Amino acid sequence: MLICRRIAAIWFLTLGCIGLPSIAAMKTASATPALATDSILLDTMSRELARAMSSLGKAPAKDGAAAQPSPYFLSYVVTDAHQVSMTAQYGAISNAVENHSRVADVQVRIGDPKLDNTHGQHRASALSSVTLPLNDDRDAIARSLWWATDRGYGNALENYLQVETETKVRAKEEDNSPDFSVQQAQKADVAATATMTLDKKKWEQELRTLSAVFREYPDIYNDAVLLTLTNETDYYASSEGSSVVEPHTLARVVVVASSRAEDGMELFRAETFEAATPGNLPEEAALVAKIHRVADDLVKLRKAPVTEPFNGPAILSGRAAAVFFHEVLGHRLEGQRQRGDEEGQTFTKNLGKPILPGFLNVADDPTLETFNGIQLSGHYTYDDEGQPARRVELIQDGVLKTFLMSRLPIASFGESNGHGRAQTGRMPTGRQGNLIVTSTKSVPDAKLRQMLIAEAKKQGKPYGLYFADISSGFAVTTRRSPQAFQVLPIIVYRVYVDGRPDELVRGVSIVGTPQTVLNRIAATGDKQDVFNGECGAESGSIPVSAIAPAMLVTEIETQRQPQGNSRPPILPPPAIVGEKAREIGGAQ
Amino acid sequence: MKKKLVWLQIALLAGCGTSIRAQENGNTDAEARRSPVLRAMLEELDRSKQQLQLQNMQRPFFIEYRIDDAADWSAGANYGALTNERDGHQRVLRVIVRVGDYAADSKFGRSDGEVQLAALDDDIPALRYALWSATDAAYKGALRAYAEKQAALKRFETPPNARDFSKEPALISIAPLQHIEIDRAEWKKRVAELSGLFTMDRGLAVFSKDIQYSNASVRAAVVNRYLVNSEGTIVRKAVVDYTAGVSAGTQADDGMHLDRSYSKSSTSAAGLEDARTMRQKATRVLETLRDLRAAPVVAEEYHGPVLLSGDASADVIRDLLLPNVVAAKPDMGTDARTRGAYASSFKGHVMPEFMSVTDDPTLAIFEGRGLTGAYQVDDEGVKGQAVPVIEKGKLTNYLIGREPVKGFPASNGHGRAPTAQAAAPSGAVLILKSSAPETPAELERKLLAIAKEGGREEVYVAETLGPHMTPRLLYRVNVKNGKRELVRGAEIDELDQRSLRSDIVAAGDDAWVTNYPGAIPVTVISPSLLFGDVTIKRANDEQHKLPYYPPPS
Repeated sequence: MLICRRIAAIWFLTLGCIGLPSIAAMKTASATPALATDSILLDTMSRELARAMSSLGKAPAKDGAAAQPSPYFLSYVVTDAHQVSMTAQYGAISNAVENHSRVADVQVRIGDPKLDNTHGQHRASALSSVTLPLNDDRDAIARSLWWATDRGYGNALENYLQVETETKVRAKEEDNSPDFSVQQAQKADVAATATMTLDKKKWEQELRTLSAVFREYPDIYNDAVLLTLTNETDYYASSEGSSVVEPHTLARVVVVASSRAEDGMELFRAETFEAATPGNLPEEAALVAKIHRVADDLVKLRKAPVTEPFNGPAILSGRAAAVFFHEVLGHRLEGQRQRGDEEGQTFTKNLGKPILPGFLNVADDPTLETFNGIQLSGHYTYDDEGQPARRVELIQDGVLKTFLMSRLPIASFGESNGHGRAQTGRMPTGRQGNLIVTSTKSVPDAKLRQMLIAEAKKQGKPYGLYFADISSGFAVTTRRSPQAFQVLPIIVYRVYVDGRPDELVRGVSIVGTPQTVLNRIAATGDKQDVFNGECGAESGSIPVSAIAPAMLVTEIETQRQPQGNSRPPILPPPAIVGEKAREIGGAQ
Repeated sequence: MKKKLVWLQIALLAGCGTSIRAQENGNTDAEARRSPVLRAMLEELDRSKQQLQLQNMQRPFFIEYRIDDAADWSAGANYGALTNERDGHQRVLRVIVRVGDYAADSKFGRSDGEVQLAALDDDIPALRYALWSATDAAYKGALRAYAEKQAALKRFETPPNARDFSKEPALISIAPLQHIEIDRAEWKKRVAELSGLFTMDRGLAVFSKDIQYSNASVRAAVVNRYLVNSEGTIVRKAVVDYTAGVSAGTQADDGMHLDRSYSKSSTSAAGLEDARTMRQKATRVLETLRDLRAAPVVAEEYHGPVLLSGDASADVIRDLLLPNVVAAKPDMGTDARTRGAYASSFKGHVMPEFMSVTDDPTLAIFEGRGLTGAYQVDDEGVKGQAVPVIEKGKLTNYLIGREPVKGFPASNGHGRAPTAQAAAPSGAVLILKSSAPETPAELERKLLAIAKEGGREEVYVAETLGPHMTPRLLYRVNVKNGKRELVRGAEIDELDQRSLRSDIVAAGDDAWVTNYPGAIPVTVISPSLLFGDVTIKRANDEQHKLPYYPPPS
């Protein structure tokens, strides 16, 4: 899919870590209505799975060769997804697609849970994917599953032989946990969700109206308003006897806009709105107001002074703190990061020890559907390994209690806690769902601001900083290699101690290891804010949420970061051609 | 003197009847501006032409806007059931801004051209906004590229032997808009059935368990392409491609992968095979797969005469000849004329004297069949011209767009571009002919006669080729009794430009048409070709394990 290049670059880079919903991966196709006969699909999956288990590795060995091993585990995950997405730019529809797809991810494991074909670098060897019929054609579904299973078995076999050899030649591994956790079979047969209906003409008109707001802003060079509607049902069946149906619907509006300062600095703003159905999205007036806010922010940013190096106190807004915790803490608490030589293992040895100030608690709760009336993107009932979603207390009173676990065990934890997640076609790993930060040392926002000023005075600083919005990675810079789990401040104000009005600055970047900031949190606000988005990592792009209150940090070091050097457009945009335009264009 | 001749030829071809048609269609600026898309393009182009300039920097000497309104619909099925349906519609714009002049411009590396998604709505402000944004980026890119190119040129003693860009007359040509017209429900049903034929056809019942994949697909793609440039050219044209096909695969008992497919492309849905014929073709794909499983593996190595069907010959011509008769600009710092195998073959023999090759983009229909490679105007706004490329075996011309090469200073209407990409010289409708055509029966007699002369017991006939000229249906012919036997596991070797030059013994009086689908549709019309000395040898492809367990019954 082609989208306007600058915005495409933003989307692409955002995939490094938490970001806005990606539209890059969307396929264009038209939808077929959802079928209510789910049992045929699940039933065919179970039958074919049983047939594979009773056939594979059961043939007698030929000519004295060793018999081929049977798989000890086999699972099918079928994702049936209907998606409608439309985009408007500058008051006109630029893209509208519908897609219906059914893809099966087949997982084959050979060996035993202690050591199997997925060991170490061979993790992906368990997985093969195949496109399934869009209708419930039993024969065609069965034959497709057979084809993928047969291929997957061959691949698993080859990798298992390699794993066996490698294990024999290699010195003992630091973490010799098993390769797969033993879990109880799950049975959950939820009726498939009804097809979400969308009045396409109405929504196209709505998006035109919303994006036409940008026509009033000649200094905004790129804009898009997207609506995506997802109606997805995941069917899970495994040789352990599990059979789970997990429906999921989400309607989402994303607004993105970008501009450039006179010195070439790239400026970027975005907002998202989520709801379970399109009808529950905010009213047009509320959306228009938010879009004006996005546009006004950019216009102000263009004229804002560039930041100076600073080392002193700051407040992260609830939204900024949510993104910050997702990136800086959440990703480092993923179970698989504690295992393997390639991993950072930042917190592996900190279990049971304080890693945050004692007044902070962090949990991940995918079972939570909404928070203060806001739909949470990271909600699910069963994870992508068929395990029930669970609220997990990661950090209690500042002390690290556990990690986000998939079915890949680590030295300290042998079982899943319902956080095995993946994009279709990827192996699940421990991932975040709804990350929730709470505090027992909270004060009203006004008080937090007073504390910031007091702290700045104490440190002899003329001002403290207020981070209103933080994006992740290098989403808005021209850097080609996005560094995962980094954070980039977008909207930052100076809060002066002498009572001057707050001053917006641009080009702020955080210096040093961001984790150090976590230990300098002195107090929090008393209202939690939500960030909804898509998170990209090794197991692909998945929807997530992060919730946190505003936070006062006693010390944060920032510097100026160059972010692009292209000059603003030479001519003004066409809609405002005339005398007024010359003033804006400037470069005649 | 040589140059003059070429010029004269081009001028004559360009003049042929085209101006009359232009007037008939009301091809005027006023007519163009009735299209909202063209109006937005022309308005923004006018503004850019008049005002676009960075202080103390040079102005653009050339600006081109292209908007592709690309609609495509496709459906695919596996094992008897529909697995995907796709309905896409996008407008993609591409802006070229060049600084410098026609002799030395800013096109350098891949920097030339700025791409964006444009509004699907006929909304003039939104369309202009996207063009404005892309124009700004393209102009800045051109200034940078010009400086880099000038610097790069300084590294070489040899100055460029051709100008950078040809100046072409302004052309206004507004073709009617086209839309996808296909019975979607019927074709979805049809591809589902075709992909499941292996289980339905009684004659194939025993074989059906051996089928590993069986799919069918249909695709309709219509691009309404809008092009305007600062020289005054205004074009609206349609690029249309309908393709439907089947493919299936199995493995022989020794693990050898066997694949067969059939597809046909045309300029309309009506031009595709009807349901009955399609079923016959699909059945034959399956039957030949069954036969291939049982067929003997080709012997170690064979050198000798091989007869290629028109189908197989068209593939060989597309792979071996076509890429080399386009005038691709050579690398900087060299004195080469073009790139490729025929870079230094101008006026030389590249085929036997009885062979001639013409590329004629204006040939829209051949023997009742729509040719997808055909067009009236190319993608740089130049009239498509019939170009005799090879005359009596001699290379007399190249297919060229607006990027001149030594001795070829002007376009002959062969600049073609995929959506969102730069134009490059390409074939359109390439037609091979023999001045001494022979009937298929004569060709086969000749094949056997050569074999007898050489004391051979067997020779080969290739009916179809797969990718990389790998034979899919290859027959071993017994020289004594003329009996054909299907063989498997072969690859063709030592079939190259030398073979085309001196090894074609005879050509048929048949004319096989292949419409090659793709981002740039190309048609090749070729007769059967009899080669005197080609190598057929055993392909050493990986022979994977057979399925570990049987498919569901």
